[in-house]
Amino acid sequence: MAADADSDSSFILHPSSFRGPSPLVGFFVLVGHSFQRHWRVRQMGWVSFGLLGLTVAWVAAVTLSAAGWRLEDRRNRRVGATYRDYAEQLRPTARYETMGADLKAAARLQSYPPTTPTTRLTHPVETPTPLDPTADALRSLMLSVPAAVLGSEKFRHEWAFTHFVGVVPLGAFVGFVLPLFTLAFASGALGTERESRSLVWLLTRPLPRAAIYVATFLGALPWCLLFGVGGFAALCLAGGALGREAFAAFWPAAAGGTVAFAALFHLIGATVRRPVVVGLVYVFFFEALVALLPGSLKLLSLSFYTRSLIYNEAIDAGYPAAMLEVPEAVSAATAWVVPAAATVALLALGAWRFGRTEFRDDT
Amino acid sequence: MPLATAQPLLLFEQASKWYGSVLALNQVTLELTGGITGLVGANGAGKSTLLRLATGQLRPTLGRVSVRGTDAWDWRARRLVGYCPDADAFYEDMTGRAFVLVMARLCGYDRREAHRRTEAVLTRVGMADRADRRIAGYSKGMRQRIKLAQALLHDPALLVLDEPLSGIDPIGRQELLELFQELAAQGKCLLISSHELEALEKLTNHVVIMARGRVAAVGTLPQIRELLNDHPVSVRIDVDVAREVARRLLDNPDVLGVEVVQGADGPGLVVKARNPKRFFPAVGRVLIEEHAEVRRLEPLDESAHAILGYLLGGSGRT
Repeated sequence: MAADADSDSSFILHPSSFRGPSPLVGFFVLVGHSFQRHWRVRQMGWVSFGLLGLTVAWVAAVTLSAAGWRLEDRRNRRVGATYRDYAEQLRPTARYETMGADLKAAARLQSYPPTTPTTRLTHPVETPTPLDPTADALRSLMLSVPAAVLGSEKFRHEWAFTHFVGVVPLGAFVGFVLPLFTLAFASGALGTERESRSLVWLLTRPLPRAAIYVATFLGALPWCLLFGVGGFAALCLAGGALGREAFAAFWPAAAGGTVAFAALFHLIGATVRRPVVVGLVYVFFFEALVALLPGSLKLLSLSFYTRSLIYNEAIDAGYPAAMLEVPEAVSAATAWVVPAAATVALLALGAWRFGRTEFRDDT
Repeated sequence: MPLATAQPLLLFEQASKWYGSVLALNQVTLELTGGITGLVGANGAGKSTLLRLATGQLRPTLGRVSVRGTDAWDWRARRLVGYCPDADAFYEDMTGRAFVLVMARLCGYDRREAHRRTEAVLTRVGMADRADRRIAGYSKGMRQRIKLAQALLHDPALLVLDEPLSGIDPIGRQELLELFQELAAQGKCLLISSHELEALEKLTNHVVIMARGRVAAVGTLPQIRELLNDHPVSVRIDVDVAREVARRLLDNPDVLGVEVVQGADGPGLVVKARNPKRFFPAVGRVLIEEHAEVRRLEPLDESAHAILGYLLGGSGRT
């Protein structure tokens, strides 16, 4: 073998064709290499897919149900009727009819209990008072409001949309799918290299360590975005027309949140030996709990800013703020700047730390 | 001569490395300028730690490690260093050729140059015709060759090879030894750790012996021997009158012990003695006076094994 090779002093260096290596080339090659290494979906990826599948199925089931995401066809358990029927029952005509039926029933006391049971017990306030016409008029006016409101197509759409946004993008996506997918892919950028003990091949290249950190992040980021925004698209498509509207409005927020989470989980992946465990604890204890607590602690949670972005987008689209449950949401500018700054800061911190850390995973 | 080349290629200056409360390397001072240097020592003696410090995988807790004056931790130092790690972890799904090519590209070479270098090093390690199989299906020897190939890619001045001969069959080992000698002849500096002491002895005269985190000895094997003149020597003497010779030798104050053994073609002695300069002439006199017919006279512990065993005392397992 060795005898086959050139035996002169430069078996590699041919001065005529020699081109000096460039760290910049190495950096971009590492971005591509890291991206390619990620196409192999790991266990955590399959778990995420499974959970996304369940969530999508649930959203689709709600969408296809009789009531869908709309208010008017939902059943009110206390009343025992849909909201549309209840609003009808509160209108003066219906209330007088009910009173008439009750009087007839009272006249047939002998046959008590009534042969046709009423669907619900009428509240005293709903009983018409024809002998006190002023009070009756006021009462009729008040009790006609629900039917009038439900008659408004604008209100019905706003309610359905904000309800969908509260449950799917703000709830299932930001609270569950986004962190899970980002964790699955971002924590593996350096985490899998450490687990498989192949990090040594990167660390022995003539590349600055900070560049290795940033390049592996950039290599994993397209996967995070693909599955983060793709997961969002899947959830939204399962929501029908409302979902399509939500996706068109909120995908930038989903992408922004993905990038910030990816920077965080990349740092965790490079720092600890069990990044998935630490990441899951972070997602389900810190993000899930702290983001819901009142007070300023939630300003530390990344998902709070994604929620604020969605909130602001919805407000800008003309939906009423009162219908969206994002307490103390920050402005759109803040909600963009803070995660962007956090991304840069987390990357800088990670690169700095990675540049100083010794990896002895194979010892 | 430019300053850069005037500096030693690899320099350890009072370098110590602690892993928590464990001292892995203790005030090591070492200077390599060229040629092949063998690094031997028992498990846990600090060989791998030393090699990782040299390749910038670790940073010394105290002291300094530099490659041509650049701190070994600095990425620029890695342009001068090729490292063949002991750990056997690859991207198993890749072919050997694809792996070496990616390593070349990561060194910063453009596509054409990377291809050219990949083929050159694969030919050099004898893997050019076998490199299109997945690494997962490689034998230990083939994996070692691929590891070696990636270390050669950027034509480094210093090659740090951690157990490069482990798992390689005798023919392959001979090929690699020749390759190492060729590389040294090209002016490269090789630092090779190995448990295969005999192989290292064939390869180089310059040995660094490590024990318990310290460099116990540096130099050629005869030099080390010289340093250890009090170190007992063992000699195998096959003679017909073994018992008589043994009796006479036991009267010599330099002789520590004599054991009569039965060889394939007759009796023999294993003599353990100190101060070889006085002992060997005395042996000669005894043999002549006894009219002994000597069939075999062989020092048993000229190898690094024996020196190492002596240096390491009770823990000298190699």
